[in-house]
Amino acid sequence: MSLETKTERVEGSVPITILALDGELDASNFEEVIETARRLYSEGARQLIIDLEKLTFMASSGLVALHSIVQVMHGQEPLDPEGGWATLHGLQGDRQSEVRLAGPQPAVDRVLKRTGLDRLFIIHPDRDLAVAAI
Amino acid sequence: MTTGQRRLRIAADLGRLAEVRGLVRDVAASSQAPPACMDDLVQAVDEAASNVIRHGYGGSSGWIDVAAELVDDRIVITLEDEAPPFDPTTAPEPDMAVPPGRRRPGGMGIHLIRLAMDTIDHSPRPGGGNILVMSRRLDPRPKEER
Repeated sequence: MSLETKTERVEGSVPITILALDGELDASNFEEVIETARRLYSEGARQLIIDLEKLTFMASSGLVALHSIVQVMHGQEPLDPEGGWATLHGLQGDRQSEVRLAGPQPAVDRVLKRTGLDRLFIIHPDRDLAVAAI
Repeated sequence: MTTGQRRLRIAADLGRLAEVRGLVRDVAASSQAPPACMDDLVQAVDEAASNVIRHGYGGSSGWIDVAAELVDDRIVITLEDEAPPFDPTTAPEPDMAVPPGRRRPGGMGIHLIRLAMDTIDHSPRPGGGNILVMSRRLDPRPKEER
């Protein structure tokens, strides 16, 4: 099963962009997701919800994608995932609110928790609640 | 109880990872593995095969043999390759005390394998390469809940 991405714009209290991932996010396709986020940022997106409801699998490379998207949405270039500690700069590590996650399935939720990446995101039960919270 | 072993050889190509996950999913399903168990097995085999392709072969051509079977109360996954020797069981743990925004984003695959599987054993493959054998009990609970 491959990965399909769908983007949508909704009007909340601020313009919101939703990036929905459908399928499996792995080492073969995570860079495309980062590219999509880069395009959305260049088109003006500043508040992003990543809808994970239909994402059935996420590899550790998917975590790199999520981490990189946060940096893209803060106007920074993603770090080289293999670059090591010396390349680190920028984000202070606190939970940010420009990129939110919605509806992770148990397998994906477990990966977020096991790696501590859940601490970087506000995670909503579904996309409608995420939109309502902004 | 044992089921017949299922085997698959893939080229060292990230585009083939979905087939590896599919093989393990099939064996887990025919073994009536609970959902959290199946998720762990699929995660572990993906991370292990992905590491071999990206870091072991590092862009060079090569192959990975993947096998999975039910042995007694556990599913055993074996990966063989011809890549330079690397023992993932000796890799350091990521520093989870560092906030995720300041952590190196890669390097989490082996951490996820350790949390998913009950046993992980590495040995050099005769003639060159690696043999990685991992197993997980058919326990419905994730490791952190046991």
